[in-house]
Parts: sequence; structure tokens; C-alpha cells
Amino acid sequence: MNTLDSLNNGEQAIIHKFSGGKSFINRVAAMGFTLEAEVTMISKRGRGPVIVYIRDSEVALGRSEAEKIIIKENLK
Amino acid sequence: MNPEINIPTIALAGQPNTGKSTVFNSLTGSKQHVGNWPGKTVEKKTGTYRYNGSALNIVDLPGTYSLTSASLEEKIARDFLLNERPDAVVVMADASQLERTLYLFTEIRLLKVPVVLALNMMDVAREQGKNIDVSALQENLGVPVVPMTASRAKGLDDLISVINNSLKKKNGSPALCMEDNKLLNKYSEIYSLLDDEIPNEYSKEWIAVKLIEKDEEANLVFNRYVSGKKLETAEKLVTEIKDGILHVAGARYNWIRKAILNSIKLLPSDEKKIRRKNFDRAATHPIWGKFIAVGIILLTFITAMIIAIPVMSVAQLLMGPGSGALRDIFSGAPLWVISFFADGLLPVTGVAVMMFSFILGVYFAFGILEDIGYLARLAYVFDRPMNRIGLHGKSFMPLLMSFGCNIAGVTGTRVIDSWQQRMVTLVMVSIIPCMALWAVVSFVGVIFFGAAMPLLIIALLAVVAVHLTFTSALFRKFIVKGEKTGLIMELPPYHKPNWKTIWSYVWVHSKDFLKRAGTLIALISLAVWALSYQHDGNIENSILAAIGKFFDPVSGLIGLDWKLFIALIAAIAAKEASLSVLAVLYGIGDGASSITSLFVSGTGGFENAALTGAIAQSVSPASALAFIFAFFFSIPCIGTVATIYSETRSFKWTAGCSAYYLLASFIAGGIAYRIGLMIF
Ligand SMILES: Nc1nc2c(ncn2[C@@H]2O[C@H](COP(=O)(O)OP(=O)(O)OP(=O)(O)O)[C@@H](O)[C@H]2O)c(=O)[nH]1
Ligand SMILES: [Mg+2]
Repeated sequence: MNTLDSLNNGEQAIIHKFSGGKSFINRVAAMGFTLEAEVTMISKRGRGPVIVYIRDSEVALGRSEAEKIIIKENLK
Repeated sequence: MNPEINIPTIALAGQPNTGKSTVFNSLTGSKQHVGNWPGKTVEKKTGTYRYNGSALNIVDLPGTYSLTSASLEEKIARDFLLNERPDAVVVMADASQLERTLYLFTEIRLLKVPVVLALNMMDVAREQGKNIDVSALQENLGVPVVPMTASRAKGLDDLISVINNSLKKKNGSPALCMEDNKLLNKYSEIYSLLDDEIPNEYSKEWIAVKLIEKDEEANLVFNRYVSGKKLETAEKLVTEIKDGILHVAGARYNWIRKAILNSIKLLPSDEKKIRRKNFDRAATHPIWGKFIAVGIILLTFITAMIIAIPVMSVAQLLMGPGSGALRDIFSGAPLWVISFFADGLLPVTGVAVMMFSFILGVYFAFGILEDIGYLARLAYVFDRPMNRIGLHGKSFMPLLMSFGCNIAGVTGTRVIDSWQQRMVTLVMVSIIPCMALWAVVSFVGVIFFGAAMPLLIIALLAVVAVHLTFTSALFRKFIVKGEKTGLIMELPPYHKPNWKTIWSYVWVHSKDFLKRAGTLIALISLAVWALSYQHDGNIENSILAAIGKFFDPVSGLIGLDWKLFIALIAAIAAKEASLSVLAVLYGIGDGASSITSLFVSGTGGFENAALTGAIAQSVSPASALAFIFAFFFSIPCIGTVATIYSETRSFKWTAGCSAYYLLASFIAGGIAYRIGLMIF
């Protein structure tokens, strides 16, 4: 199972599930990270935080936060 | 301002950074903090809008992504909407990020209140090539939609007239903005179970949806009114929906998608957008991004200095003659009166003005960075380095600002979302050496260590790094425990700088500083004046000297004589002043009636060479090293301490932090002394 941070720059995927706790899910769900939502990786370099594009917005996620989001099927 | 009764109350709600405070300020004439960074407003604020003989109470709420009461701001916004029952709610959305910013709208529509959607940032949407069909959107959302460009005061009149129309309706009827048949079926079952039981003052739609989200407060209300078989059945239904919040959020976003689908048209994007994208790619690059950051930060401090230096020089110039003039005016009065005005009040005010001008500069420069949207990028670029000391990117800004001035850093901690992290950062901020510290350290350092100065600086910085790491670990482990959170932050689109916003940013912060910190600075500085007052110009006869001598056994432990010790204490009033204080103590300064009088002359009031000689003669290198370290890590200046108090509103925190810094200073000084004895 792949996590969000496994996407390369420019790749797109669909959110499958979350492995974080309730407060994490509460926070990200409101920002648009929901099941079946499309995300695009905008910037990932090294081991640092990532920037993803989701529902009209750019969101920065710490690496450990991105690891809590599990994706399915790479849409490219 | 107190909300007036009998006039309607309108709440401004919306996701962070959608322009609520901008609208609030335009309507009420207030100066709430506005800037391009999510999460600036952290408290609710009320003001009054008057027009044609009528009035409206307007409430600016903190920006929140949703109403789950996960954070303090969410709780404030939610409690206001649920308990204080405004007569209408304006939900602000950002036309350039419509899909996400409509999320809060779907949640607020569950309440029994008339809702108006303010579609702000129409200018940004247009620049992005998004063409929005307002009447189609209005049709789909089911509430009045007002297109606006709040930063240019466009659309305000329309907003008011639409609000007035909505007020005539009295109660709004809740709407379910969700699209997911399976979920809606469950919802209907739950709703039918509570329909007859829960009193009408509650929105049953709200309670039913919140039950699915596993919201604690909704659950309490539910348990209070529903019992027996119905309660059991409902509880079973709710537990069947695993991760309710995800399904509800998903259903809301499905609904939003559908509502905006045929009302937005995307045109090809223009060149400007591409240029911004390219800049952003560099600005968020882990290596280039840091270079750009350092460049911009240097530029920021240079800007601050450019603003501050003229004011500082004028203040310096005026103080000498001013002091003389005061002496003439009070020439017949008792000595202590003359001393109070000429050597106490005037220099203290002068120093406050100088500090203030620097802070003004810092705020101006940071206001620009914030308004264009760069601050959020800094937090991103420095997230990883911050992780190494147990924090995340949002702590970077305050720490950085502290190199200029600790006060700015302490205020800057406001942007940090978790309370735990904010407090840890707040404690760390004052460990960062500000510019004034460096000035004193280089003076004393050069006397004793000359060419070895770079070594000394490296040693100091290394201790800063260790101190920061240790403090962070200590506070996170024992004092403000809490779940470790990572960076989750939207990166707002870049905006053109808006000078009106920047000016009001500077104004608000400066006013705050003057009001809160200013008074305390003045009080403490005057206390230093009183303690060091003597009529014969011999500092040894002052109370301060007596105190210093009393503590001699303690300061002796770290190798400081009473003079150095007092310089350390006087530095609390203003770090820059300690050089002058040393000058007096070693008999170089003019026979002034109090230490504060030295603020008049600053470092120019004595011969640097003479001071150098005197200090070098009577202080051993080991003591000097101890002094430098103790001074460097001592309690921050009184302005910072005052700001810690005004930010935490807690005497315990303020006193606790101060004690912690004193202890650190003592330990640093002690260790430096021992090491010094070994080396020299
Ligand atoms: N281009 C443009 N910028 C705007 C507009 N309205 C507000 N802004 C800017 O957007 C930024 C955010 O505005 P604020 O009023 O601080 O937003 P807020 O909703 O109060 O934000 P929080 O308090 O953080 O929730 C500021 O930089 C404003 O100057 C607009 O219509 N167009
Ligand atoms: Mg605001």
C-alpha cells in the first residue's frame, strides 16, 4: 500500500484511507483530504515536507503527515 | 467596543485567509490584523457598522477550516455560532480557491440562521483565469451570493443590502449540503429517531450530522433528550458508520463539486501566473529556497535598520540638549527632581522611542513579506530543520524574527496552531541573541580576546544551539506535554502588496507594543533610576550598588564582581545600556546622578579607550568570559518579558520563563568561568 509521499512530482492519485488518529483526520478532511479525493504532488525533495495540490489549493504537509495518507492507483 | 443590544448581530465566518478581517475593518473602522497567512485572527472581535441612521453589530470570527472544535479557534467560532445565535451569518469564501473554502459553508448551513455567501477575492480569481457565473452559483448554493474584492472595498454596499434582506427572514432553515445516497439514508434514520425528542431550539439537522461525525458535544445533547430504545438504535447506527467524519466530509465535497461545476469556467492562465509559479518553485526548493530565504531575511533587517536609524539618531541628538533644557527648567528644584526628569524620565522615554522605531521597522518589513504570502513559504522551507528540534515549520518565523528583536519573535508565535508548540517556541524565542546583545558582546569580547573573537562567537552560537535543543526537549517532555503535531498548512497564493493592509499591520502591532510593553518598560526603567539614584554622583553610594555587594557571594561563584553583576541586572532594562553602566561603574563615565542618565549619551558618553583600559585592568579574562556568557543567556530585556506576559496572559509563565533564563545565565556564566580559569 502506497502512502502519499511515494508520489513523484507531477503525479496524481486518489486517496484510499488514512492511518492517522481522529484529530489528524478531522484537520485534513476539512482541508479537502477525503476518501476518493484527487491529489497531485507538486513538490517533493529529499526527506523534507511536501506540497500537494488538492481541491483548488496548495497544502504543505510535513513528511510524517504525508505518510499517514494512503493512496491508490496512480493516475499519472 | 461593547456590542449594542437591540441591533442585529452579523457574524463573519469563513476559512482562514478568506478576507473576513478585511471586511470587518472596512465596515467597523477597526484595525484587526490582516495578512496573507492563514490563521491570524485568533479571538473574536466585535464592532459596529453605522449607516443611514441604522446599525449592525459585526463579529469577526477566527478563520476555521471546519467547526469540529479541534482547536481553540474552532471552538471560539463554533461556540459563537451555536450559543450566541447571530441574526445572520456571512460566510466568506475565496473565489480563487472556491471548492475548499465552501466547505465551511456546507457546515454552517446546518444551523438555523440566515446565511449570505460573500464571494471574495474576485480579482485573484480573474487573474487565475477563473470566470465565475454568480447567478448560477447562487442558484446552486441556495443562498444569496455577493461577489467582492474586499481589499479594494468592492462589494461592501451590496453585502450590506443583501444582509438586510436576509435579516427580514428571521430564521434560516437548515439545509443538508451533502451528496452521498448511502450516507443520507443513514442520516434520515438517525434524524427520525431524534425528531420528536430534541427541542426545537436546536437544529436537528446539525445534531444528526454531528452525531455521525462522532462529535462529543452533539452526543451530549443527544443523550440528554433521547433515551431508551431510540437511543440504542441511534447509537448502533452511528457506530456502524466507521470514520463518520470522512464520509460526511466526502459527501460535502461531492455536493460542492456539483454546485460549482457549471458556474466556473477556466480560461488559459496568463504569463504573470507562470512567472509566479517559477518563483515559487525556487522559493520552496530545499536548497535554493534557503538561499532566497536568507537573502530576503537580510533585506528585511536592512529595511528595518533603514527605518530605525534616522529615528534613533534624532532621538540620540535630542536627548543631550533635552536633558540640558530640563536641567534649566528645574534649576531651582531639589536635586532628585532634576535627576528624575533629566536623568530618569527623558532617557527612559528616549530609549523606548529608539526601541520602538526598530520594532516599527521590523513590523513594516514583515508586514510586506506576510502580505505577499511569502511567510508561509518560509515555514515550509524550514520545516525539516525545525523537526530536528521537535518543532515544525511554523516555529521558524518567530525564532528568526528574534535575531532582530525578541519582542517581535514572542508576538510572532501567534501563528503556531498547537498550544504546546506555541509555548515551547515562546520559551525558545528569548534564547536567541538579539542585535543589542551582539553589540555589547563584541565590545567586551574584543578587549579580552581580540583576534580570538570569531572563536568566541562560534562558542556562543554553539551554546545557543545546545540551549535551544535542550530547552525544547525539556519543555516538551515535562512542562507542556502534548501530542507531537506536524506541519499541515495551506500555502496561500501570492498577492500583490497592498499598502493599506501593510500600514494597518504596522499600526496595530505598534499600538499593542506601546500600550502593553511600553508601560512596563517605563516602569522598570524608572525603578532602575530610583535604585541607582545618588546625589553625589558616586555610584557606589546607590541602593543598586548595595544590592550588588549584598549578592557578591553569589556572583562570586561565577567569577563576577559586584560591578559586573550590576551591569548584568541593569541590562534587563535595555541591553544596549550595559556598556554605559560599565563605564560608570569603572569610574569612566561622568558623575551622573543615576544609571539611566547614561541612556542619554549611549555609548558615546565616554571614551571607549578609557573603558577598555579600565576593564582590562580590573577584570580577569576568566571573569570577562563569564560575564559575556551570563549576559548573553540572561533574562531578555524588559520589553520582551512584558510581551511574554501580554501574549500568555499568565503571570506564572512569565515568572517561570524569567526564572528559567536566570538559571541558564547563571549556569552558562559558571561553566564559562571554570573553563576560563583553565585556559587563562
Ligand atoms: N487580492 C485580494 N486580496 C484580498 C482580498 N481580500 C482580502 N485580501 C487579502 O487577503 C489576505 C487575508 O485577509 P484577512 O482579512 O486577513 O483574512 P481573514 O479571513 O481575516 O484571515 P484569518 O484571520 O487568518 O482567518 C490579506 O493579505 C488581505 O489583504 C481581495 O478581495 N483581493
Ligand atoms: Mg482575520
